[in-house]
Amino acid sequence: MAIHDGNEAAYDHLLEVAKACAVAAARAPTVTGKLGIKMEIVTDEDQKPMIEVLEALGKASLFQRVDANSYRKLIDAGTAPPVLLLGADLTEAIGWDCGGCGFSTCGEFMKYLRKNKGVGAGAYGPTCMWKALDFGIAADHACACAAMHRVEARIQFSMGAVSMLLGRLDGCSFVLGLPMGPLGSDIWFDRKHWQGELDYEALRQTVLAGAPNLAMAFAGGGNPIMKTKQRWWEAPDFMKVEQDEEFLTLAAEGQEAAYRKIMEHAGVLDEDEES
Amino acid sequence: MTRIAINEWPPNSPPDLAKKENVLLVARLMANAALTAPVSGGVPSWEAEIAHGEKEIERIAREMERLAHHEVPKKLTKPFLYQAAMIRESDAILFIGTFRAHATPMDVGCGLCGGEPDCSFFYDRVSQVDGVVDDTDRERSTAIRGPLCMLRVHDLGYAVGSALWIASTHLVDAMPSYPAGLAARNLDFCIHSEVVVGLPIAVLAKNPFVDISPDYHMNNMGKMVDGVRRWGVIPRQLAMVNMRLHDPTTAKAKKTTK
Repeated sequence: MAIHDGNEAAYDHLLEVAKACAVAAARAPTVTGKLGIKMEIVTDEDQKPMIEVLEALGKASLFQRVDANSYRKLIDAGTAPPVLLLGADLTEAIGWDCGGCGFSTCGEFMKYLRKNKGVGAGAYGPTCMWKALDFGIAADHACACAAMHRVEARIQFSMGAVSMLLGRLDGCSFVLGLPMGPLGSDIWFDRKHWQGELDYEALRQTVLAGAPNLAMAFAGGGNPIMKTKQRWWEAPDFMKVEQDEEFLTLAAEGQEAAYRKIMEHAGVLDEDEES
Repeated sequence: MTRIAINEWPPNSPPDLAKKENVLLVARLMANAALTAPVSGGVPSWEAEIAHGEKEIERIAREMERLAHHEVPKKLTKPFLYQAAMIRESDAILFIGTFRAHATPMDVGCGLCGGEPDCSFFYDRVSQVDGVVDDTDRERSTAIRGPLCMLRVHDLGYAVGSALWIASTHLVDAMPSYPAGLAARNLDFCIHSEVVVGLPIAVLAKNPFVDISPDYHMNNMGKMVDGVRRWGVIPRQLAMVNMRLHDPTTAKAKKTTK
C-alpha cells in the first residue's frame, strides 16, 4: 500500500503512453504492407543533443526556435516529455510503377536514387509515394493513441529531423518526433513557454508574413502601401521584393552551427575546436 | 413505436439497408476525423467523398477491374481484382484525396521528393511560372501524374490514418486501398486531387478485407451464392415428388419404395 503523488504518477505514466503509441504506430494498417517502421523513445538527458542542434538552427528559423525554446524550458524544469521517435526508409520502391514519384517506373526511380540520394532540410530523398503515405498513417496512429490517452500530441518534423541527423534510427530516410505531453494543457499549442520571446512588433511582422494581402492598401497604382501602422497613410511603407543578404548569412550561420553540433556529438569534432 | 430490423444478410434487404445507414454514419464521422487530422503547418489540404449504394459501388468495382486487366503492371492485376470483389461486400467507401501534392507544394526544402535541400526536383519537372504550377494539363502517362510534393502525400497519410482510427474505434472494418482510390479518382471522386485513397467500410460477421483466398475474384461469397442459385435447382427436378399424391418419408411409403 502506498500513496502516490498524482502529478508524479501522471508524469511517470507518460512513458507507458509512449509505448502504447509505439504499438499503435506499429499496428497501423498500411496500403503497401511494407513500411518497416522503426521507433525509439528518448527521455531526459538524451534529448540534449537534439535541443542544442534545434537551438542552432533556430537562430535563423522561428520554426525550429519555437520547439527548441519549449524543449529547453521543459528539460530545465525537470519535466522533459518522453519523445517517441518514428522513422522508416521511404526510399525503397515497391514495384507498382504508379508514377507518383515522377518516374515512369520503379526501376527508373531506383536508378535515380542510387546516383542522387541526398538529404534536404530534414529528410532523405527521393521518396516512394506510397511509403510516404503509409508513414503518415502510422504516425497518425501514434498521435491518435496519444490523444486517446488525453496526452497532448503534436508531431514534430523539427525534433525528428535533428534526431535523424544525429544518427538516431539508423537507416531511416525520414524521422518524426512525438513528445508525450508532458502535463498541463498549454505545452505545444498555445505555448506558454513562447510568451515574451517575440515582442509585439515581431509578432505583427510574423502575421504579416502569412498574409501580406491583409495589410495591403489599394493595389491598382502598382506600388501598394502596406498598412503597417495606425496612420498608415502618413510616411507610408511600400511592399518591395528584394534579396535579403543579411537573412541568408544568418541562415547559413545557423546551418553551420547545427552541423558543427552534430559533428561534435558524433565525436568527429572536439568541443574545443568550436569557434 | 418504431421497430428497425437490422441484419447483414441478405444483401440489400431492408435489414441490410438499415445496417448500411449505420455504416454511413461511421463513414461521415471518418470523413470528419480525416479533416481534423494533424497536417504540416495546419494547412487545409484534403477533400473527402463517400460512395454509398449498390450501383455506385459496382461502378467503382468495374473500373478497378478495367484497370486490373488493361492498365496496371501485371503484379497488380490480382490485387486489383481481389479488391474489386472485396469492395462489392463493403457498405460504403470513403475517399480521401490531397488537392495540394501535385499543385501547391509545402515549399520547405525538406528533401523528400528528390533528396535536395530545396524544391528543385519538383519544380524542374512540372510546368510552372515563377513557382506557380500550371496544373491544367491533366494527361497522364502513368497511373498517377508525378512528381508530387512528398510532404503533402505524407500529410494525406494522417487523414487516412485518422479515418481508419475512427473506423476501428467503432469496431467497423475498413482498409486503405490504392485500387479503389485510383478507380474512384478516374470516375471524378475527389475531383481536385491527383492522389486519392479509398477506404471501403463494412459491417459483416466476417471482415471482408482479410483472409482472402487465391483467385478470390472467382470464389468470393457472391460467386458462391450464385453457384448455389445456379445448381441448387437442377437436382431438385430429379429428386422431386408429387407432393399431393405421395410422401416418401412416411414408414409405409419407405417400405414400398424401390
